[in-house]
Amino acid sequence: MATNRSLSRPLGKTNLKKEIWRNRYFYLMLLLPMAFFIIFKYLPLYGLQLAFKEYMLNKGITGSPWIGFDHFKRMTVEPEFFVAFKNTIIISLYRIIFGFPVPIILALMINEVYFNRFRRFTQTILTFPHFLSWVIVSGLVLNMFGDSGVIKKVIALISPEMATNWNMLYSKSSFRSFLILTDIWKEAGWGTIIYLAAIAGIDPSYYEAATVDGCNRLQQIWHITIPGIMGIIVIQLLLRVGWVMEAGFDQIFNLYTPPVYPVADILDTYVYRITFGRGVSMDMGFPTAVGLFKNVINFVLIMTANSIARRAGHDGII
Amino acid sequence: MADTTQKAPLDIKVPKKNRIRRFSVGDGILLLIMSLLSLSVILPFYNAVLVSLVPQAVYVRSPLLLWPKEVLWDNYRFIFDFRLIWHGIGNSIFITLVGTFYSMLLTVLCAYALTKNIPGRRAIRFLIVFTMYFSGGIIPYFLIINGIGLTNSLWSMILPTGINVFYMLIVSNFFTGIPPSLEESAKIDGAGDFTILIRIILPLSLPILATFALYYAVDKWNEWWHGLLFIRKVEKQPLQLILRQIIQDAQFLSQQLLPGQEKPDVYGDSIKMAAVVVTMFPIMMLYPFLQRYFLSGLTLGAVKE
Repeated sequence: MATNRSLSRPLGKTNLKKEIWRNRYFYLMLLLPMAFFIIFKYLPLYGLQLAFKEYMLNKGITGSPWIGFDHFKRMTVEPEFFVAFKNTIIISLYRIIFGFPVPIILALMINEVYFNRFRRFTQTILTFPHFLSWVIVSGLVLNMFGDSGVIKKVIALISPEMATNWNMLYSKSSFRSFLILTDIWKEAGWGTIIYLAAIAGIDPSYYEAATVDGCNRLQQIWHITIPGIMGIIVIQLLLRVGWVMEAGFDQIFNLYTPPVYPVADILDTYVYRITFGRGVSMDMGFPTAVGLFKNVINFVLIMTANSIARRAGHDGII
Repeated sequence: MADTTQKAPLDIKVPKKNRIRRFSVGDGILLLIMSLLSLSVILPFYNAVLVSLVPQAVYVRSPLLLWPKEVLWDNYRFIFDFRLIWHGIGNSIFITLVGTFYSMLLTVLCAYALTKNIPGRRAIRFLIVFTMYFSGGIIPYFLIINGIGLTNSLWSMILPTGINVFYMLIVSNFFTGIPPSLEESAKIDGAGDFTILIRIILPLSLPILATFALYYAVDKWNEWWHGLLFIRKVEKQPLQLILRQIIQDAQFLSQQLLPGQEKPDVYGDSIKMAAVVVTMFPIMMLYPFLQRYFLSGLTLGAVKE
């Protein structure tokens, strides 16, 4: 890339025209992709002005009257908004605390498996659920955890009393754990791939030297493998924290029910519910404002995370 | 960077460190743990298939079902008699085929043009990458696509999901790693830019193109969110959305029955699981055969810019 930049000397007007004409086919190639980005990514940005407007169906986005910060003022008094905001942060933090270490530990274990074939097999199995939608996975896990599900039946064999009180899907105290658990089930295997690739990149001579020095395998993991992938772990964690406002719409939307709204409703599901949930509402301004609120926080956090990562010498996060 | 991009690791190989080491107790314990973990991933699938093959009444009554006493295909027969399933399958196949082609076309064009040092390249790149980090949110998105007139059209699930920026940047990185001498010699032979892309670049990139075509196809098959927002007519909904209604809405199946059609125990888990199995069937069948493509995506992504 550095060589490319040094080539692009400042161009005069005629030179620039010539240069553009010379590359006309590349601009032609960009025509469709740019149309895509303008229509489906940038026009919605134009629509963000609704956050400061009172939306009227017959006047459209441009014609609706401005009302300043009224929607944002409404947020401060809307109890459901506050709950959703709080839940977004809490659920995301739970995912980081309990979910983030799992793929790392799994990768370390997969890497140590004795038989090559079995290692491949477990990796293949553990990764599979990632490729299914949350609609499908919700079907699978609602059945497992539901009222006539396997898990309740197993519990009934151990303690019938516990089984009669079984209520994981609709209980406020257990629903978040259920979310974290099923998220780990679906995504942890996929998460191992990046760590396994990093482990594969560690120079094998370190391990040889360690064996000569009489290190056992746990010591090798501790002194070679983990330090070897520490850079990737830190970057991944940083990015994960940066995306904290994305608390998992697909999963929650397909799993939650009204009894657990107080603990599971996040900003994304909240915006969807108040707009489309009770028949299509005409109040598009307030949910746009909530979305803008979320996206601005999101943007600031991600940019901060990226710039810290870049300063740490990792220019890799595009 | 070029050397890592050229040989995209399609097989994730863990280095063979001292292979001669003996099988220890620790290895045994690890083997056991890994077996249990694999089993915990397989179990929900096994359970779903099992439940879909027994009558609802048997399923509810049995304390713990591990093996079906008799296999009954009634649930599947019901699902396949249900006309909306066929609409859903047709819609999802259409979205997957057309959508994957459309997405690959846009992705390849964009990725290749971005490797060229054309005036305005940095600005264009910035505009594209920016969309990864900031969006208008669901409401403006809904209003714009609604305004274009895509509501109740299958295209509402295809056109807005054209380029996944992350995939596109990885493909672009890969193209950067192709030695420029190949393009230059083609240029001397009088090949135009499009010809070079089609004749030189694409054939050299087949594995990575296959990987991302597969990812796009899986994404399109799994598509339900755009359907939820933009498709009101049930006949136009993708299979995933039909499945979602079967799972979530106890009334849905009975409301959609044709007059005179036999009403089974439609509230039952057995029918739901049969629908789940039908919906995930294509991915389940492809996965074992294409697993090296399925598993290679993130390692390609780990390639530094």
